[in-house]
Amino acid sequence: MEKKTLGAKGAACDPASYIDDRPGDGVFRLRRAVYGDPAVFEAELDRIFGRCWNYICHESQITAPGDYFATRIGRHPIFVIRGDDGAPRGFYDSCAHRGTRLTRRRKGNARTLTCRYHGWCFNAEGRCTLVRGGDEGYTREAMAALDTDLRPIAGLDVYKGFVFGCLDDAAGSLGDFLGDVRPFIDLIADQSPQGMEVLRGDSTYMMKANWKLQTENSTDGYHVASVHRNFATTLGYREQISGADGMAKTEASRILDLHNIGSGGYDLAGGHMINWSDRGNPRAAPLWDSRDELLKHHSEGKVRWLVERGQTVTVFPNLLLNDVASTCIRQWRPLAPDLTEIDTWCLAPIGEGAEQRRARIRKYEDFFFPSSLAVPDDVSAMEGAHDGSLAGGGWSEFALSRHTMIDGPDDAARELGVNVRTSNPGRESETPFYSFYREWLRRMERP
Amino acid sequence: MIPFDATLTAEAADLLNREAYLLDRRQWDDWIALYAEDAVYWAPAFASDDEMTDDPDNDVSLLYMDRNGLEARIFRIESGDSYASDPLPWTAHLVTNILVTDIRGDQIDVSASWLVHSFKRIYGSIQRGGLYDYTLRREAAGLRIARKKIMVFDDRITGPLDIYNI
Ligand code: FES
Ligand SMILES: [Fe+2]
Repeated sequence: MEKKTLGAKGAACDPASYIDDRPGDGVFRLRRAVYGDPAVFEAELDRIFGRCWNYICHESQITAPGDYFATRIGRHPIFVIRGDDGAPRGFYDSCAHRGTRLTRRRKGNARTLTCRYHGWCFNAEGRCTLVRGGDEGYTREAMAALDTDLRPIAGLDVYKGFVFGCLDDAAGSLGDFLGDVRPFIDLIADQSPQGMEVLRGDSTYMMKANWKLQTENSTDGYHVASVHRNFATTLGYREQISGADGMAKTEASRILDLHNIGSGGYDLAGGHMINWSDRGNPRAAPLWDSRDELLKHHSEGKVRWLVERGQTVTVFPNLLLNDVASTCIRQWRPLAPDLTEIDTWCLAPIGEGAEQRRARIRKYEDFFFPSSLAVPDDVSAMEGAHDGSLAGGGWSEFALSRHTMIDGPDDAARELGVNVRTSNPGRESETPFYSFYREWLRRMERP
Repeated sequence: MIPFDATLTAEAADLLNREAYLLDRRQWDDWIALYAEDAVYWAPAFASDDEMTDDPDNDVSLLYMDRNGLEARIFRIESGDSYASDPLPWTAHLVTNILVTDIRGDQIDVSASWLVHSFKRIYGSIQRGGLYDYTLRREAAGLRIARKKIMVFDDRITGPLDIYNI
């Protein structure tokens, strides 16, 4: 079977040759060259990042007219800006005149974007408001023929405060793209009736590994007890010498005591994956004190998830919403087959109490920054996995707990009333990865 | 800023140099002994391209720790169980432009610039730099660090960022 597609630089890439997926035989294997192969990388920029919805920012980061947020989708610099009418719009970050980038900061406020190169001006709706010297420099006809407005990206939409953009007119709706991961995003978005906000203070860090390893690691419950054992023992030591109590204590059962708590992993189809575990001590959870308030707005099953479970929600292809000891938005962008740029933000319920807020921030710093007690160890693990994948000829078998995978929802998923493709009782399972790699292949094979 | 005081400046410089020495030689217990019992250790994060976070209770910092937090970092390094900290990068702290900026009772404010050169095989050589704002306090045992604020100017961080390499 010949299913060759071309990467942007013309090297042949046969996506199906990287995945050996034979459900009848109980086999799901990944050829490790999928991480380091430059032809795969080029094709991914086109077929994955160029075509699907990509997370850009949270609405709380662009609240006022003129607030903008600049990033990249694949290789393309883009930005989102809130217009005078209150609507966020997405544009390629490239001047209509000769293509210079317009934003000079990662985020800021500008009712008028002035290109620094020759001085053309654009408003927040993308209309050109000034062609400097245009009356003398162009005839009336030449000016009329010029396309002077900013080029909008193909799609911009918001789901519960999370702003997504896409570059493909044929991408379909954001709702369809998110599909069954939406109720799990709701578990992050619905933590306060007043909404959620991204806190001040963020960080960008680099990983010398392929972007797909970060997507895998986000759902990989198996590494938690090995890579993050040090996180748990270090915090245990700190809490012992400082006599920490109550909310200041970090709940570590999910790391050291997994066999005594409930946990699981879901394949949500569409490339999305979930991994969850019960909180051994829900009283240390950031939301414990809001329980009664939450019950007024949500079902008992949903509040059980909100307060008594922690989950990592991995949205295809490069977004993680993490609600464990604290709450984190993480997004990663592929720069090269072996280089990934990662952004991370702390998300918190608007109007939460001062003590809760402080505890949430300290726990965020403990786990989610490149200066934390956990992220550096994850990054080292992924870098080790990438380097080792270059050994050549190797296959990775995603077989862990395959025998306990069941079709459809388990009891916990039924409590939330959600649709899942497969569930696995136990977070240390590799079956949720099938969702990601099947969607990866489906998209990579589309001409 | 206060007028030049040779003795005080020399005393402050000695403490800062001593801290760099103990970090680079990995003498963790002697290093932490330079900190007062109630010390605050703070590295703010960037809030935008133009400013850093300034309110640790409401903003996220890179690091915001008391002395127990510092002890825990040593525990982490010495455990040998942290993937990122084993092997530990080699580091050389360059601490310079040491200036006593204020004296408030038994507290002395000191500013300095820093650069840390570090090496680990997977990343090669990495340079990071920024500013230090110290508050030193005169205690029975001598000058101790009551507060250290570390401004890290690198916002695209390669490799771990920890007490030994900032
Ligand atoms: S490139 Fe922007 S005005 Fe010329
Ligand atoms: Fe991890």
